Amino acid sequence: MKSRYEIAKNVFIDSVDIDDYIDLNSSVTAYQQLRHSMDKPLKMILLFGKPGTGKSILLNRIREKLKHQKEIHYFDTPAINEKEFFHKLFKVLTKKDLPSNTEVNFSALNDFCKNLRGKREIIILLDEAQMYGPEMMEKIRLLSDSRAVKFVVSLHKTEDEDLIAKEHFQSRIWEVIELKNATIEDQTAYVHKKLLKKNMFEIANSIKEKNMKRIHKYTKGNYRECNKLLFTIFEICEYYDKNDPSKLNYTKIPNKIIEMAALKLGYIHV
Amino acid sequence: MYDIERLENEWKQYRKKKLKPWYIGFLVSLVLAVILIVVFVNGKIDFNAFKHYFQTSNDPIIFEASSGNEQESKSSVLVNKALDRLETKENIINDSMITVVEKPVKKPVNILVDIPVLEDTGTLTAGDIHQNKPKVHLDIVESTSVTAYEDVEKRFMQSHDIDDALFLARSYYKKGDYKKSEYWALETNKLDENSEESLFIFVKSKVKLGLKNEAISILTDYLKVTNSPEGKKLLYQIENNKL
Repeated sequence: MKSRYEIAKNVFIDSVDIDDYIDLNSSVTAYQQLRHSMDKPLKMILLFGKPGTGKSILLNRIREKLKHQKEIHYFDTPAINEKEFFHKLFKVLTKKDLPSNTEVNFSALNDFCKNLRGKREIIILLDEAQMYGPEMMEKIRLLSDSRAVKFVVSLHKTEDEDLIAKEHFQSRIWEVIELKNATIEDQTAYVHKKLLKKNMFEIANSIKEKNMKRIHKYTKGNYRECNKLLFTIFEICEYYDKNDPSKLNYTKIPNKIIEMAALKLGYIHV
Repeated sequence: MYDIERLENEWKQYRKKKLKPWYIGFLVSLVLAVILIVVFVNGKIDFNAFKHYFQTSNDPIIFEASSGNEQESKSSVLVNKALDRLETKENIINDSMITVVEKPVKKPVNILVDIPVLEDTGTLTAGDIHQNKPKVHLDIVESTSVTAYEDVEKRFMQSHDIDDALFLARSYYKKGDYKKSEYWALETNKLDENSEESLFIFVKSKVKLGLKNEAISILTDYLKVTNSPEGKKLLYQIENNKL
C-alpha cells in the first residue's frame, strides 16, 4: 500500500499538465487579461515573468480553452534553427507538410500570410521565446505585420536584464502581461487546492498557516520552487512514515522537516 | 531517497547557528540585568540626579510688586514657596519675575549676636549688605543635585545674596544637615535681622542639635520684641517636643 506521503509527493511533480492547473486569484486575472488582449487587433503580445511564475501553464490553459473557437497553436520548445521553425510554421499556416528536400521561402510565406488577412486569424503561442535570436524575432514581427497571424510571446524575465527593454521588443510589442510570484494567500490556496484535487484532505489540513509562511519565505512565492520544496518535504515525511513514525506528527508538518527540505534544496545553509 | 541521517545532522547544525544570536542576546541581557541590580542595590547610582535632566516645570511663579507690612509678608511667602519648589523641582525663575520689595525700617532684633557657639560671623554687617546690595537675585535653577548646593554656597560667598543663604538654610534643614542649616540661618539673619524664617530655622536647628534650652531662650527673647504668633506656635511645639 502506498504511503499517503508518496501520493502527496507526486502531486507536486513539476509539469505543465493542464489537469494540474489551479485557479487562483492572480492566475485568473492573468488569464482574463491575456484573453482580452487576444481579442484586440494586436499583432504581438508579450507574456513575461520569472521562471516558475506559470507562463507555460497559462499558455497551455488558454490553448485548451480556445482551441475549439480559434485557430490557436502552441510552440512549446523553440526550434533548433530557423529552418525547423519555418517548417513548423508552414505546416500550421498551410495545413500541409513541407515536401522533403525543400525550404521555406520567407518572402513567399509572408505574402501567403498577407493573403490570409480577413480570411483566417491564426494565433501562435511562442513559449521560451528568449531563445529565439534577433533575426528570427524580426521575421516573426514581419509575419505579425500581415495581421493574419498574431503572436503571443512568452519570455523569462531574468534578474540581470529586463527583456522588455530589448530594442526589438520595445517597439513592436503592443501589450505586455507580467506574471509575478504568488502572494502567501495565493500560494496557500495553490498548495491546498492541489492536494484537495487528489482528495488529500488530511495532508492539506496538516499544512498550517505558519508552515505556509515558512514555505513562502523560502520559495519567495515561486510556484516551481514551491513544487520542489513540497515534493522534498513529503519525500522526507514518506521516509519517516516508513522508518521512524515517532518523528512524524500526522496533524501538523513539523518545522524541522520543512527546514530539512530547505537545507536539501539549498534555500538555507548551515 | 536522501541520506536522512546526514540531513538531520545538517539540520541540527543549522538550528544551533539559528539560535546562537538568541542565546547570546539572552546572556547579554542577563549579565546587564545582574550588573544593574548590583549597582542599584549598592546605591552607586543617584537616580534622583537623572530626574534632573528630564523634568521641567510648566508653571513658573510670578512675583508681584507690593507695599506695606501685610504685602511684605505675602511676598515673602511667595519667595519662600518658590524656594520650597527649588528644593524639589527645577523651576526656572528669572530675574524679571521677581520684584524687590522695599522693606520697612524696623528696630533691629539682633538676638543672635550674643551666642558664642557660632564661629563664622563674617566681615560684612547686615546694614552694609542692605546698603550695597538691595536686589533679590534668584537664579537657582535646576538645582537638585548635590553639587548645586555647593554652587549656591560659592555664589553666596561672592554675592552675599540673602535668598541664596535662606535657600541653603532651608535646604540643609530639610536634608537633616542641622549644623549647616544653623550656619546658613545665621548668615541669613546677619543680612536681614527681620527675617523671621531664618530665625525659626536657626532655632529649629538648635533643637535638632540637642540645644533645646538655648533654642527656647533665643525664641523667648524674640517673642518679647515681636510677639509673633508663628513664633509662639513654634515655642509651643519645641516645649512640647512636637517639632
